[in-house]
Amino acid sequence: MAVLVEKFKEVLFAVLPITVIVLILNYSIIPIETSLIFRFIIGALLIILGLSIFLFGVDLGIAPIGHLMGTALSKTKNIWILALLGLILGFFISIAEPDLHIIAGQIELVTSGLVSKLSIIIIVSLGIAIMLALGLIRIIKDIPLYKILIILYTVIFILALFTSPEFLAISFDASGATTGALTVPFILALAIGVSSLKKDSQASEKDSFGLVALVSTGPIISVMIMSILFKTDKISGVIEYNNDYSTSIIGPFIHKLPTIAMEVFFALLPLLVIFLLFNIFCKVDKKSLRKILKGLFYTFMGLVLFLIGVNAGFMDLGRIIGNNVASLDNKSLIIIIGFVLGLVTILAEPAVHVLTHQIEDITSGYVKRPIVISALSIGVGFAIALSMLRIIIPEIQLWHFLLPGYIIAICMTFFVPPLFVGIAFDSGGVASGPMTVTFILTFAQGVAESIKAADVLIDGFGMIALVALTPLITLQIVGYIFKIKSVKGGIESDG
Amino acid sequence: MDKSPQLPEFELLFVILNYGLGSKVVKLAKQHGVTGGTIFLGRGTIKNRFLELLDLTEIRKEIVITVAVKDTIYKALEVINKELKLNKKDHGIAFTTSVSNLLGARCYKDSYSKESRGVENTMYKLICVIVDRGKATSVIETASKAGSSGGTIINARGSGIHETSKLFTMDIEPEKELVLLLSEEHLSDLIVSAVREQVEIDKPGNGIIFVLNVNSAYGLYPQNK
Repeated sequence: MAVLVEKFKEVLFAVLPITVIVLILNYSIIPIETSLIFRFIIGALLIILGLSIFLFGVDLGIAPIGHLMGTALSKTKNIWILALLGLILGFFISIAEPDLHIIAGQIELVTSGLVSKLSIIIIVSLGIAIMLALGLIRIIKDIPLYKILIILYTVIFILALFTSPEFLAISFDASGATTGALTVPFILALAIGVSSLKKDSQASEKDSFGLVALVSTGPIISVMIMSILFKTDKISGVIEYNNDYSTSIIGPFIHKLPTIAMEVFFALLPLLVIFLLFNIFCKVDKKSLRKILKGLFYTFMGLVLFLIGVNAGFMDLGRIIGNNVASLDNKSLIIIIGFVLGLVTILAEPAVHVLTHQIEDITSGYVKRPIVISALSIGVGFAIALSMLRIIIPEIQLWHFLLPGYIIAICMTFFVPPLFVGIAFDSGGVASGPMTVTFILTFAQGVAESIKAADVLIDGFGMIALVALTPLITLQIVGYIFKIKSVKGGIESDG
Repeated sequence: MDKSPQLPEFELLFVILNYGLGSKVVKLAKQHGVTGGTIFLGRGTIKNRFLELLDLTEIRKEIVITVAVKDTIYKALEVINKELKLNKKDHGIAFTTSVSNLLGARCYKDSYSKESRGVENTMYKLICVIVDRGKATSVIETASKAGSSGGTIINARGSGIHETSKLFTMDIEPEKELVLLLSEEHLSDLIVSAVREQVEIDKPGNGIIFVLNVNSAYGLYPQNK
């Protein structure tokens, strides 16, 4: 039973902090309705249960599929076949991502239907597919990650000059949204599978990371190009938020079940289909096949429970907390609460657990979980605090943070060990998962609603961009510290 | 028995534990006179009907290996046993085996190969080389030139006496590679000295080599050269 207890403990420590913080807020500065608090607690319990099952599912189902395909892909000697397979994989996985459908719907709405939802989904998926193929080629061809990142981000900067501030925010958000809870574990495992066959173990280790990083630049570039081509520089529509929430405790959970179950099912479907097709060509033995199918089932169950917990238990609460915090007189309190919420929310993010376990496995425990998680959590804390600052002071534009942030992050790649560059840029995509997107985003929208100077739409967008940016810097700092500290001491004073 | 009294006898300690306890063992061992330790990851299985039904039968393990003088190892092992309660069920296992040759550990700089005890002469030797991450492939290349027929690399982490830095409260254990070379006895000295020269093992901080006696080996074929 040790396995179950261990996993349960890990998840408990991930979800408890946010629960405790919210309860403390409730009893101190922001009293919240009892029915909401009950829903929050039920939500937290569902999240604990769902996250545990989901993580088992990833270990058993998603990760092995990624590994198998990765090793199979790297055996294809022809680079064009590899690129083609990468394109197909990337396209079908991202097209099914539920988060992408949500953000595409929002874009259609704010551009008053000028850009249709379907075309956005296809364009973003194409962006992801091209980047996935590029990333796979990079691993095989041994091109250093930082060089590609510099090129890609230069392209992004040039495109950004022609993009309106609103679309700048949307494009970065699209990137965060599309690297969701299912895509990230799969892409991570794929990268590890492809690079594991390398003879030089050091190269294999550092190439195991960085694929998520490349993939998440795809949507940024494609949405920017789209906005320039369609000349959709003005945002005209308004997103209607449904502000009244149900007072029933159990109702919202049951209400959300069918939609979420459908979404998760369709997100998993391409993986299942691709795996079954793959199984025709490269037979997997019966026992492993059964295990992987079981794993996919766990993933489905876990993710459904998790998402129901987040959507029904946390979403309304996020907005209420935001509303109430913003109406306090002390504005600096908004920033502090934002920081703390960012700090604890990221702990419960599913992909964070997957990434940190992969890091431990690949580095044989050299880079330990607690270090990566604390760096991530401090990073996200700062991201939320900065977002709050942006809402309170309308003069601050998103690019005031993004431009210096990315310049710092890119410059750091020159002297941080390549392993950590990969880990840092990957965790940027990992940090912006379902937990942050639902809970923190509604919190920010809640704050923006209560502050007159703020524009809910503009300030709401762009926060995910910051969440994806700050971990790049904090994790690279950790990498630099590791580099200094790993130098051997005492050799000169040989006795 | 041609055991000369001034040459210390070395032992290799193996500890297999649940994930996360490896660093603790190395720390304990270091506090009791052992100069360093190497940890690598493994996967263990569980026997449990319920979990087998769910297919959750794999658990992450850490394997710790460390070499030192016999007395030191036994002292450390006793402490490890007491601290981690190895005598209880499911707390991990530990065992030791004798080492016939150790190179590279600073305090035992001048120790040399100890002849195997007893009348039974072993046919094969297992040469274990622990080096910094990235150097293992060149170790195997050198060994192959010296007559070894191949080698196996295990990714590991670990720390010797030169690597004692900390990040907050955690010890930093740099990444290592453990190379296993199985060779016929008459070739082993040649391989060891070639590897020794190539990685400059006698300079401190470059890794260690130790050699174990192997009683029987299968799957090894002499190279037709």
